[in-house]
Amino acid sequence: MAGVLLNSVGKTYAGNIRAVSDISFAVPDGGFCVLVGPSGCGKSTLLRMIAGLETITDGEISIGGRVVNQVEPMHRDIAMVFQNYALYPHMSVYDNMAYGLRNRKTPEPEIATRVAEAARILELEPFLKRRPKQLSGGQRQRVAMGRAIVRKPQVFLFDEPLSNLDAKLRGQMRVEIKTLQRQLGVTSVYVTHDQLEAMTLADMLVVMNRGRIEQIGEPLYLYENPATIFVAGFIGAPPMNMIPLAPATGVPAGILGAETLPVPPTGAILGIRPEHLHLDRGETALGDRLRLELKIDAVEAVGAETYFYGHLGSTGPRLVVREAGRGSASPHGIRAFTADRTQIHLFDKVSGNRIEL
Amino acid sequence: MVENRPFAAILSHVILIIGVVIIAFPVYVAFVASTTDPTTISNGQLSLIPDHHLIENYAKVLFEGTERSTKQPMIVPLMNSFIMAMIIACGKIFISLLSAFAIVYFRFPFRNTAFWVIFLTLMLPVEVRIYPTYKIVADLHMLDTYAGLTIPLIASATATLLFRQFFMTVPDELIEASKIDGAGPWKFFIDTLLPLSMTSIAAMFVIQFIYGWNQYLWPLLITTRDDMQTIVIGIQKMLTVTDALTEWQLAMATTILAMLPPVIVVVAMQRLFVRGLTETEK
Repeated sequence: MAGVLLNSVGKTYAGNIRAVSDISFAVPDGGFCVLVGPSGCGKSTLLRMIAGLETITDGEISIGGRVVNQVEPMHRDIAMVFQNYALYPHMSVYDNMAYGLRNRKTPEPEIATRVAEAARILELEPFLKRRPKQLSGGQRQRVAMGRAIVRKPQVFLFDEPLSNLDAKLRGQMRVEIKTLQRQLGVTSVYVTHDQLEAMTLADMLVVMNRGRIEQIGEPLYLYENPATIFVAGFIGAPPMNMIPLAPATGVPAGILGAETLPVPPTGAILGIRPEHLHLDRGETALGDRLRLELKIDAVEAVGAETYFYGHLGSTGPRLVVREAGRGSASPHGIRAFTADRTQIHLFDKVSGNRIEL
Repeated sequence: MVENRPFAAILSHVILIIGVVIIAFPVYVAFVASTTDPTTISNGQLSLIPDHHLIENYAKVLFEGTERSTKQPMIVPLMNSFIMAMIIACGKIFISLLSAFAIVYFRFPFRNTAFWVIFLTLMLPVEVRIYPTYKIVADLHMLDTYAGLTIPLIASATATLLFRQFFMTVPDELIEASKIDGAGPWKFFIDTLLPLSMTSIAAMFVIQFIYGWNQYLWPLLITTRDDMQTIVIGIQKMLTVTDALTEWQLAMATTILAMLPPVIVVVAMQRLFVRGLTETEK
């Protein structure tokens, strides 16, 4: 077992195209680190650099205290699970899992034991003699996991392993991956663009955008304290409501209690998560709260919760409210919502950085 | 067809049957001719029912040869043709697999140039470069040898292109998975790429075997000794006799014999062959 350390890592492709720059973070031994960001943010490139499939043009990557910049993938003691599984189509499930071990000259009885163990953990025992083609998507996914497990590597690398599965299976596999990683205690780096996957799997979340790190931290810390507008908008579903505030034009119509917010002269963005807005019960004292009036134009009741969609002050930005329970709003008309001052976020409009309240 | 229209079914069958008859009838006549005695053919009284000289004619052609023209037992050129076709087919596949592997998976200077040079040779079949090729083979003292017969025909742009196309459809993740699994390029080639290319290899083998078997001009130039001749040339030589009748029944028997190996190769590899040209296994 070993941690992974990245020290101002960068990648520049031919033609001076920068894919990632100045990435530094440390995944502790046994930790589960998730790299998340929109497509093209460099997260896969970074993972492939850790795997040794891409060269490192700047900085250093070390695995278990050893700098691996010049080390071939097979000697880095890593295992990787690919998005399309990359199973060898002409080999049986058993051979797929055994191949890496055979190449490392592991004795055949040892291979048999390890594959049997992996098959037991992943419930693949009935399929060992089958070809990948004869398996369902979820089973192929398990074989890909098995191929990683049998090697007993220092680090697992996952490259969007669940994005080819349907929603139901994805949820199920997500739980399985998490359980498995806990059980085996192997340091893992996981790439995804799905913020839900990222939130649920990670011990440590690295949010990336345009080849740079936006914020690193525990998932819930990032949820509660997003450092930038990007992180605020990326984490959480439905995304955080963003209300532009400009000192010149004053507070937008329909919002009460925002006058005291420290809006810089260049303007700010007020962010409120849909779940932090609540129907105004008609209390007269506003106290430590903001009051927002929305012209509702749609209501979605999904049972456990109800979503209200509407425009702030009837012509302002479009906002979403998530209210627990079945809600009672008539679809149309103007409704008032309140938000606790401790749960709102303020960002600098120009730099996008968080302004502490 | 999805529709079930009896008239269309009958019509398409009639057309198909006519096509088959047009193709198969000459072959059948050749077969019938190979089972008769010389007088029947020279009298022009060939019937459409096979005669009973079949074993006699084939045995004679294989082990004794004609009486009036070459007088060579045809088993020798049959073997020569077989060896030549096998060397050409296997050699082409071997060389093309390696060159396609190099072109697709390795980054080296002038990689694209190498590809285009190979591509250009498509426009230079043996017939076009026959004089320089002959000169080289003669200077290397390879006339009347299997090497001389086969080596100039082995380099193949067609097969290289086909394998290149196939390799490019193999997902990159497979190579990456191999790298992580500790397989070097050579191991990846043998353990993964070759098994995946099996159907393409089979298709190439069929095509190239027939190509090698049917060679005419090159063996005609390069071989002078009777024991190095190929079957196609053997047939041609059987027909030229002076002041006598061609032994048609023997020539026809040779023709039928010459047709058999390609037919056997096609039939034996048909399933792989069709899959290789139509689907890719991934």
